Amino acid sequence: MSFLAPLYLLLTGAVAVPLLIHLMRRRIGARVEFPAARYLARAEKEHSRTLRIRNLLLMLLRVLALLAIVIAAARPVARWVGAGHAPTALAIVIDNSLSTSVVENGRSQLDRFKAMANDVLSNATATDRMWIVTFDGKVRGGSPSLLREEVARIEPIAGAGDAAGAVSRAAGLVRASGFTARQIALLTDGQRTEWQRPPSMADVQLLLYVPQGAPPVNRAVTFAEARPVRWTPRGELAARFLSHDSTTYRMTLAGRTFARGTAAPNEEVTVHAAPPERGWLSGTVELEPDELAADNARYFALWVGAAPAVGASASAGPFVKNAIDVLRSTERIVDGRDIAVVPADELSSLPALIIAPTDPVKLGAANRALERASVPWRFGARRSGDATVRGPGLDGVTVSQRYDLVAQAGAPAETLAVVGRDAWIVAGPRYVIVGSPLTPDASTLPVRAAFVPWLGTIISERLVGEPGQVVAAEPGAHLPRPRWADGIESAEGQRTALGDALDVPTRAGVYFLTLGARRVGAVVVNASPDESVLDRFTANELGSRIHAERTLVAENASSWPVMAFGGAARRSLIEPALLIALLMLITEALVIGVRERRRAA
Amino acid sequence: MESARAPRADLFDPASLAALGRIEIVARWIVDGFMSGLHRSPRKGFSVEFAEYRPYQPGDDLRYIDWKIAARSDRWVVRQYEEETNLRASIVLDVSRSMAWSRADMRGLGWQQSSEPGALPPLTKLAYAERLTAALALLLLRQRDAVGLVRFDDRIRSAVPPRARNGQWRRVVAALEESGTGKASSAPEALNQAARLINRRGLIVLISDLLMDMPEVERAMRALRAAGHDVTVLHVMDPAERELPSSGEALFIDPESELAIPASLADVRAAYRNTVDEVIDEWRAMFGSLGIGYEVISTDAPFGVPLRRAFAARQSLP
Repeated sequence: MSFLAPLYLLLTGAVAVPLLIHLMRRRIGARVEFPAARYLARAEKEHSRTLRIRNLLLMLLRVLALLAIVIAAARPVARWVGAGHAPTALAIVIDNSLSTSVVENGRSQLDRFKAMANDVLSNATATDRMWIVTFDGKVRGGSPSLLREEVARIEPIAGAGDAAGAVSRAAGLVRASGFTARQIALLTDGQRTEWQRPPSMADVQLLLYVPQGAPPVNRAVTFAEARPVRWTPRGELAARFLSHDSTTYRMTLAGRTFARGTAAPNEEVTVHAAPPERGWLSGTVELEPDELAADNARYFALWVGAAPAVGASASAGPFVKNAIDVLRSTERIVDGRDIAVVPADELSSLPALIIAPTDPVKLGAANRALERASVPWRFGARRSGDATVRGPGLDGVTVSQRYDLVAQAGAPAETLAVVGRDAWIVAGPRYVIVGSPLTPDASTLPVRAAFVPWLGTIISERLVGEPGQVVAAEPGAHLPRPRWADGIESAEGQRTALGDALDVPTRAGVYFLTLGARRVGAVVVNASPDESVLDRFTANELGSRIHAERTLVAENASSWPVMAFGGAARRSLIEPALLIALLMLITEALVIGVRERRRAA
Repeated sequence: MESARAPRADLFDPASLAALGRIEIVARWIVDGFMSGLHRSPRKGFSVEFAEYRPYQPGDDLRYIDWKIAARSDRWVVRQYEEETNLRASIVLDVSRSMAWSRADMRGLGWQQSSEPGALPPLTKLAYAERLTAALALLLLRQRDAVGLVRFDDRIRSAVPPRARNGQWRRVVAALEESGTGKASSAPEALNQAARLINRRGLIVLISDLLMDMPEVERAMRALRAAGHDVTVLHVMDPAERELPSSGEALFIDPESELAIPASLADVRAAYRNTVDEVIDEWRAMFGSLGIGYEVISTDAPFGVPLRRAFAARQSLP
């Protein structure tokens, strides 16, 4: 039972009045001389028990009457046994996150949830308004029979979904219905990682079911990544696993198994490879199936091509030349002229890694060369003085001589490194510009150990092949559309044009991004690793985290349909409370009447 | 025969009657009214020695009318004779403080005096008992019985030895007007004193509210009965002592013992009535077992009622 106007309960103190009257009734001020007082004393002595019982009864009747009136004023509502239910707006929220596909006792949690949802739908009447809301954000409304069909179609998604969003959406639906009786019936596995941001719905009642007991032990692939994304053609594949013990894994690329092994718990496994395939490829890291099969595979994507032919100008400096030699010796690149590493004043074609000229006199020639190559950047004023560089892989690098990089109209704003607020390294289609010469007197970059890997990454990621990259996303996410792609290719090879946004598919996998007819990148859809951690909140723990008007917890599946529509069955108790008060007063009058009749007799 | 049509004072409302005059006047009216209601004069010994004439009163035996005087003067008179008394009676009157109480003292608890014009306050138990005593004494004296009086509260206040001579009644009435109403009631001593005054077997009439300890009274009564006395008890009660007012709450204080009982009348009224009935039954049973006459007299009852009870007790004696 709850109260719609609980402040009136403060009037409960009024019950003290009959109590005080009862307790104070013998403190009588009037004194009367009465010779037969001895008879009075004897009467009281002989009938005191009867008197006490009757007075106690009267006091209790008055207290109960007052209490009932106070309760009625507080507008109580409660469930009436066997009273059916009033028209109700009921939204059933079904957790169809990846974790609910876990199989326990031969049946997946989601299948259980679907059966329980159908149990509730069976109790619905034509006057109810019903919705089914799932964690992937889908809302289905309609008649109970229609919703039963919709429930049958619910599949687990590849990720965590949005638990709080689904509940908030359901709350909005029932709130907007205009019904007095509003309830959300939530079926969830209570996964702790899903409910870190619990919703609040202070004006809606919540019926909650969370499976009891510990979840099964789960093994999962929590990380899989190709390093670098562009292999020329060598690279390495890194993976990590969630497991309580060592586990065997398999790695595939373009449908072909290229590695197997055993990994210790939380160990990062790396596998080097130089696959013969070329272009954008997809791969998986897989484990043996367990109770939760959906996280036993994790996807990755990479680009594989021949080692690029790179030619470095002698004017680029000895450090650049030595770095190119190192990359060539490791077969990351080959000698050639496909990609140039040159000072800007010597630039003749793209792709190229363009370095600022060492001599300020050549600044004009450098900018003219940039203009000829249609590079929308120019070298500006020369700056001197030590400054720290900020950018990926460039921590600790300082700059003592640099030129301002001045963007021209239409220049893409992809800045790879900055000095203060000024761009120092910028990138565009088939070019990368460094604002300083790669010499020790201008920058510490060429003398640092990170210089060779940085140079290799710049060449393979920025200057090899078509522009494009791998976008990692969770299922169902909404991302801005990459500028370098105009379509997305499904696993079946079907291409769909991209709109203003990239709507990430809800199924895990690799989806290639295309530009025209060519693959230029990939969206790798994997569930959050957190989804593989099956630790649960208990129903009471979760119920206390969700702020609802009232939370009912179904301890088991059999009590669930009985408790549904609990909000509707909570009818006003004002009339019964007033009836009780009236009965108490009538009874009091009867007791007093009996006394009066005895008096009259 | 005007006197035959006159209203009978013994059937008057006692309060109204008492307001009409002093004790002796009222007592005479009562006795006269009472005797006029009898079928024949109760008086005995008319045939012994002539004493005087007196006007005829309804109820007088027609045998004693002096027809000669009636023929000569058209007045009806009866002859009265001196006669040896054959009964010595002593009236024992309780004048304790509890007797000086009437329901008017419960004004604060809902008792209201009648709003009719001329309505009088009720008689206290003592006032009622005094008038009853005077009337009873007169009635007995008129029967040529010797009558005495013992007044007591916590001790004996006054004692008039039984006599049948002229002026005895005035002595009784004078004793009634003495002060009294001390604290407690001590009936045993008074009863013993009354027995001593009678000297030989006689009639003892106890008029009291019996707010005293029953065992002591029982012992005294047992002694009286063992001495051969006939005893009659007139238990005087105010109506409010039998039936409490319907509502009100107060601290009820016994003026004699200072016993204080807080009570709500609505709660205790029925139980109180039952208790009073039980007490009366107990008195009745106790007196009955000793062969003692016992009557409960309400102070709102006409004086004729208790007088008849006492007279009946007298008549049962030789």
